[in-house]
Amino acid sequence: MVSTTLEPSKHKLAEYIHLLESGQALLKDSPEHVLEVVGILHSYGVVLDAYSNNLCYIADNQFLVFFPFFKYFNGEVSRERLFHHWWHERINFEYAEYCMKAMLWHGGGGLDAYVDSPEFREAVEKVIQAKFKNNWVILGLHNIFTEFLPEQMRQMAYYSGLGQFWRVMSDIFMSLSARYDKGEIKSIPDVVQHILDGLVADANKPITYKVTIEDKVYEIIPQSAGLTFLMDTGVPYVEAIFFRGTPFPGTISYNAQAYQIPHDQARFAYGALYADPLPVGSAGIPPTLLMQDMRHYLPEYLHEVYRKTLREEDDLRVQICQTFQRSMFCVTTAAIKGLAPHPLNTTDPEEQKANRAYLENWMDRFVTSQILKANS
Amino acid sequence: MLSALIWLPLLGALAIGLLPGKTEANRFRSIALVVASIVLVVNLLLIFQFDPNSAQMQFVENLPWIEWLGLNYHLGIDGLSFPLVFLNSLLTLIAIFATNKNIERSRLYYSMLLLLSAGAVGAFLAQDLLLFFLFYEVEIIPLYFLIAIWGGKRRAYAAMKFLLYTALSGILVLASFLGVVWLSGDSNFDYESLRGLGLPVATQLLLLAPLLVGLFIKIPIFPFHTWLPDAHVEASTPISVLLAGVLLKLGTYGLLRFGVGLFPEGWAAIAPWMATLAAISALYGASCAIAQKDMKKVVAYSSIAHMAYILIAAAALTPLSLIAAVLQMISHGLISALLFLVVGVVYKKTGTRDVDSLTGLLNPERGLPITGSIMILGVMASCGIPGMVGFIAEFLVFRSTFPIFPIQTLLCLVGTGLTAVYFLLVVNRVFFGRLTEKLERLPQVKWSERAPAFVLTALIIAFGIQPNWMVRWSEAQTTSLATIDGQILSQNSQKLEISELKNNFTQNISTPQIISTEMSQRY
Repeated sequence: MVSTTLEPSKHKLAEYIHLLESGQALLKDSPEHVLEVVGILHSYGVVLDAYSNNLCYIADNQFLVFFPFFKYFNGEVSRERLFHHWWHERINFEYAEYCMKAMLWHGGGGLDAYVDSPEFREAVEKVIQAKFKNNWVILGLHNIFTEFLPEQMRQMAYYSGLGQFWRVMSDIFMSLSARYDKGEIKSIPDVVQHILDGLVADANKPITYKVTIEDKVYEIIPQSAGLTFLMDTGVPYVEAIFFRGTPFPGTISYNAQAYQIPHDQARFAYGALYADPLPVGSAGIPPTLLMQDMRHYLPEYLHEVYRKTLREEDDLRVQICQTFQRSMFCVTTAAIKGLAPHPLNTTDPEEQKANRAYLENWMDRFVTSQILKANS
Repeated sequence: MLSALIWLPLLGALAIGLLPGKTEANRFRSIALVVASIVLVVNLLLIFQFDPNSAQMQFVENLPWIEWLGLNYHLGIDGLSFPLVFLNSLLTLIAIFATNKNIERSRLYYSMLLLLSAGAVGAFLAQDLLLFFLFYEVEIIPLYFLIAIWGGKRRAYAAMKFLLYTALSGILVLASFLGVVWLSGDSNFDYESLRGLGLPVATQLLLLAPLLVGLFIKIPIFPFHTWLPDAHVEASTPISVLLAGVLLKLGTYGLLRFGVGLFPEGWAAIAPWMATLAAISALYGASCAIAQKDMKKVVAYSSIAHMAYILIAAAALTPLSLIAAVLQMISHGLISALLFLVVGVVYKKTGTRDVDSLTGLLNPERGLPITGSIMILGVMASCGIPGMVGFIAEFLVFRSTFPIFPIQTLLCLVGTGLTAVYFLLVVNRVFFGRLTEKLERLPQVKWSERAPAFVLTALIIAFGIQPNWMVRWSEAQTTSLATIDGQILSQNSQKLEISELKNNFTQNISTPQIISTEMSQRY
């Protein structure tokens, strides 16, 4: 533990600032928390793998398809799969799309800037011309509504970007689970360190996007664009999904006309760290879909913990959501550590001061989050 | 066969009481369940043997008992008592099933419960005025103990209040019965022989007055109602189920059987006043229900309002209105029992019935979603939403009473409208919104706790979709009760177009052909 020479913070969440400064995480360390977090990240890893594959499939194969009826089938359409899909006992890829759209809408990072660049527009134009070269109706419409098809391709770029981001995250979570099973992960700081190491290892992994039309490859986001995993997809993802989110109809009905939703997107606080784990009635709330998906892949040791609660499996999705939020505070801790101006265990007073300001800035955003409940 | 319905629960109560040694609580529960199940099976056997086309007493048993007193052990069942006897056996089984398995002093509890059931069924079957009075009084004793021992915090007060009111009710009923025998010069209390005496209207009114007050206390009708909300609030859930579902019906059954049966002309003479009292009672019950914060009190005041519809239907005194009265008895028995069961589950799981403390119970994960859904269904049935038994009963009540007492009926209709107001207020507060932190950790509702409510829900919907299954048992009897020598007793009967009645009856509610053919013959 590193002792700080600074005065104790007077922030409302000073306790968590001091925890971070002393090498701990936003989630307090306990064997129960470790078991829950690793267990839920295992099931999240499995689900992210499926989401990632599907997002990449859609980006690579369903681009500029106006009615992509079978986009969730990954190219394997059969009657059995169709009935399975309608039965809804499946992976809800809708959640992945919800995240993609939230990222596209909130923007941020290099990916957001690149899809608005002339290079991107030029690349996309080539794809449009190739895709519809014999379809003069669509090309005619494209000349009238010049933004429609490029916007579809921007969305595809986000499909691909998020798919690639989740590919890495899925692998990180699965390897975390494997290490826990081997006894290498024993505490919440271990969990955070594992995630941080994974993020750092792949921080500069290039984010690219290319499609193939009639055996010809079209590079839409080339490696030369310089987009990287951490800063261009990871950070915007945390901002869009963990913090801002979208005001979906859940426990609270929002009335935009009554100014219940802020004008400034940056002030949105509907993300995963703020979400109310208690759904009320409305089916299909995106976070509920994710919990439903993770429910299928819970490791036995975590399932056993849930079975021993008061409601047993009656409120499984709420319990998963609460655990998931805990795990997301670990992932956020890794992001905070990774993005900190100086190592959080620095002994240099100036660096400590800069870190304190940095952390207080983060904590301002956590005031209305579920951080206290996650630690209760 | 009818004796079995009385003696089986009595013997069951005796067996539980005399079982030697310290026995597990569950053993008493099992015995009570077996006895109640056998009684229900006997009832089901009755269904196959009962002739619904006959207006006569069936399965009659008549044994002399205390001859010098004119008391005979005279039992019989007809279309008026048959549905209530069935309701009693069903709700007794449900009440036993819904009882907490770990209830204290279980030996006494289950004995009392079976004794209560025996008393109620005895009163429904008695064809001797004194025998009816005996059973009417017998059921007071176990009910007093059931409230006084296993009730809530103010149980002693509520039980004593109940005892005083219902004892007074019994005395007034007895006074009326004694008056009938003395003034008619008859030597016994046999119902059939007293029925055709044709007492002068003034004498009938004199005897009807104490009977009505006695029965109004039992039903209860405003302003004799004050014991009921206290009794309901303090009684445990199974007892509230029996109280609302069956025991209050002793009052309305008494009105039809003895008020209409023994004093038809006197009844017809004061019918408009009774209709007015019914309208006041309906509006008063509904208004009080709006102001309540305790869910159980809301259902209790709702009970007062809905029981008043039976009175207005009985006051109208036409074949259609009397069958409507019987249907309303069944409907109220099923719906109020369901609502009390559901409120009981809410109380058991949350520890409160205060509508201001409860919110968001419909939450699919952490709340009581199925219980809440059943509550909403019960509320809809109580409001008279089509497709459920409440609609059939209330529609028939208002359809049959409107031509006779238009203003009173319209006031009762306002009461029905208010049902939606007070129940939706409760549902909105208790079941919608977000669960409070205090309510986020509610225990599970087990399937066994939901099962009784499911049975009642199924009946409420089944009778709502197929009212014929209820109507057919009572038609002949209620038609007979409403007429003397082919004349409808109601003073305003000419206002009701018989052809219209027939059309409505056959087309709108799919009543069997029998009612129209009988009417054709009569008119």
